[in-house]
Amino acid sequence: MSLFNSNSMSEVDAVKEEEEFVVKKHVRYFSRCLDILPTQCQSLDANRMTILFFCLSGLDVLDNLSVIDDQRGSEIIEWIYSQQVLPDQSDESSLSKCGFRGSSFLGVPHDNSKSPVSYPYDCSHIAMTYTALSCLLILGDNLSRINKPAVLTGIKALQQPDGSFCSTVEQSESDMRFVYCACCVSYILNDWSVVDVSLTADYIKKSLAYNFGFGQGPSLESHGGSTYCAVASLVLMNKLESTLTLREIERIKKWCIMRQLTGFQGRPNKPADTCYSFWIGATLEMLGASDWVDKELNVQFILSTEGEYTGGFSKWPKCHPDPLHSYLGLCGLSLTNYSQLKPISAPLNISQRAAEWLQSIRGNF
Amino acid sequence: MSEGDESNSDEQGYVYYRDRPNWKDIEPIPQDDGPNPVVQIAYTDKFKDVYDYLRAVIRKGEKTERVLELTMDAIECNPANYTVWHYRREVLQELKKDLKSELEFAEETVLNEPKNYQVWYHRQKLVEWSNDPSRELYLTAEVFKDDSKNYHAWQHRQWTIRTYGLWSNELEFVDGLLKEDFRNNSAWNQRYFVIINTTGYTEEVVKNEVKYVIDFIKVAPNNESAWNYLTGILKGGRISDHEPVLKLIDSLRSQHVPSPFLLSTMIDVYEEEVANGKKESLEKAVKICEELGSKIDPVRKRYWEYTSRRLISAYGPLDST
Repeated sequence: MSLFNSNSMSEVDAVKEEEEFVVKKHVRYFSRCLDILPTQCQSLDANRMTILFFCLSGLDVLDNLSVIDDQRGSEIIEWIYSQQVLPDQSDESSLSKCGFRGSSFLGVPHDNSKSPVSYPYDCSHIAMTYTALSCLLILGDNLSRINKPAVLTGIKALQQPDGSFCSTVEQSESDMRFVYCACCVSYILNDWSVVDVSLTADYIKKSLAYNFGFGQGPSLESHGGSTYCAVASLVLMNKLESTLTLREIERIKKWCIMRQLTGFQGRPNKPADTCYSFWIGATLEMLGASDWVDKELNVQFILSTEGEYTGGFSKWPKCHPDPLHSYLGLCGLSLTNYSQLKPISAPLNISQRAAEWLQSIRGNF
Repeated sequence: MSEGDESNSDEQGYVYYRDRPNWKDIEPIPQDDGPNPVVQIAYTDKFKDVYDYLRAVIRKGEKTERVLELTMDAIECNPANYTVWHYRREVLQELKKDLKSELEFAEETVLNEPKNYQVWYHRQKLVEWSNDPSRELYLTAEVFKDDSKNYHAWQHRQWTIRTYGLWSNELEFVDGLLKEDFRNNSAWNQRYFVIINTTGYTEEVVKNEVKYVIDFIKVAPNNESAWNYLTGILKGGRISDHEPVLKLIDSLRSQHVPSPFLLSTMIDVYEEEVANGKKESLEKAVKICEELGSKIDPVRKRYWEYTSRRLISAYGPLDST
């Protein structure tokens, strides 16, 4: 906690506010989710990798990854690698299914990675591949056990003729979320050979709505989540300035800052919701405009959605915390340079520390 | 969490697959999470029972009537499991099922789970297979009764309209929604979607649309969605070329309406004027920025200060400084 030279009212308030934020409470929340989720979370069964990501990255941003000791850390790394869908030597078509699955919900044996056999309907999901790689980076893994050509072939199989991506080879809706996942995977693996970058940028540009936010796709309503995914993808592809005019960038920044009420809303005339303190906050950060945010109001809103006894954050005050809002709420706070939290990398949505670890190993594969 | 904890079985009268005589031939496959799992879920007994059998039939590739029933239970336990939906579609195709009852099932599920990606995708596939979009406008309208801003429903509606060319009554539908709630940003977006894909924003259409949106702004000058629509349809052209907009601004301004969107549009107009050589408009724009930052819209104080600096550096210096 910072020390102050003078004792003006606002500084006293700031001290009080920081005291109210109890790091340990949130550490306990993420630690608990890391072990077990309650029955109400059964619908997350196929997406457990994303929940793991929220928990690990949450503990990292809280500067408390140390609650996971070395042994537990390696166990978690083993679990993550056990979800890698690997090519089956006897089945050439299996390459396009590669990447990561979200959990073992299809009953693939835990040790399948030792001599991979392809199981019917077992395939990767692009959001799981992206979050699995992020989890490994957070835990300090050097990605040496990633079958890079296979993962990249899996990503390539998902790009659609309009430049967007769907999530699995079994087909699904395709939109900006999965564009972002594809960009994260390509960036982390330092290989853009499988993504048609100009087609992707074209899809993003076409999704810029008349009010200068981005929708999930062309002609869809602009939205905080898709605006983050669009801008972060352009940043990761290093295509921001070549895709958008300066005037467009100015207008996008304005659309974003107009989303602040106390916290941030995702669309005009909707209520504030904790997660947009990250989606919009991080977009403003990437566009160099984060100092426009009224931090005090933003922090107050995020803290008003804190689970008083349980830790974690929910979307609105007096609701039940969930892993997604808990993690994005913390990231929203971190973007305000909140003193007890580690800084994050806005485009990658992991801590700066984890992003630096990526830079240090990126030349090795 | 303990095995066989009957108190976890949620529904009375539910018979476990493991206790059903007609499933005796199937050896269930439990989930194998390895020796040290993470983010486990406290599944109910029913959930485990259903998914143990589902894993087994998927492994076997069985595509029968009883599997359709099993996938329905699996969807009820976890509607977000995309593989289950995919497998169900393969069973439907294999059995050459009549899609009518499946469309009904999807409709029911959409109404119960209107924010579930998988069921909307399933619905889209069924409409494609049956080449029958006749119920989609009704179904999405039903969803809007509870949540008129449901993103999935709007996405599905746009897909239906675009794919099957169902443009003819959409503007009327949007008009109805806007009359119910003129702050419905999704409806404004849909209005733009319809017009850009039908008549386009010709000079005549822009003129009519300007009139249309101005009527809404007069009623609620603080409605960002309407202002965004107004400035959105004028992009490429100049606001100051539209007399009715200038009149609206003058009228609201003379009533001292404290709307940040009004003032923001005034800045845009002044900027157009400065760019056109009317130097004195720069000072007016800067004054508006000050008014916004200090009084009307203090939450964005720094943004308005930035705007003021941006204008001065682009068109300045101010005459008075």
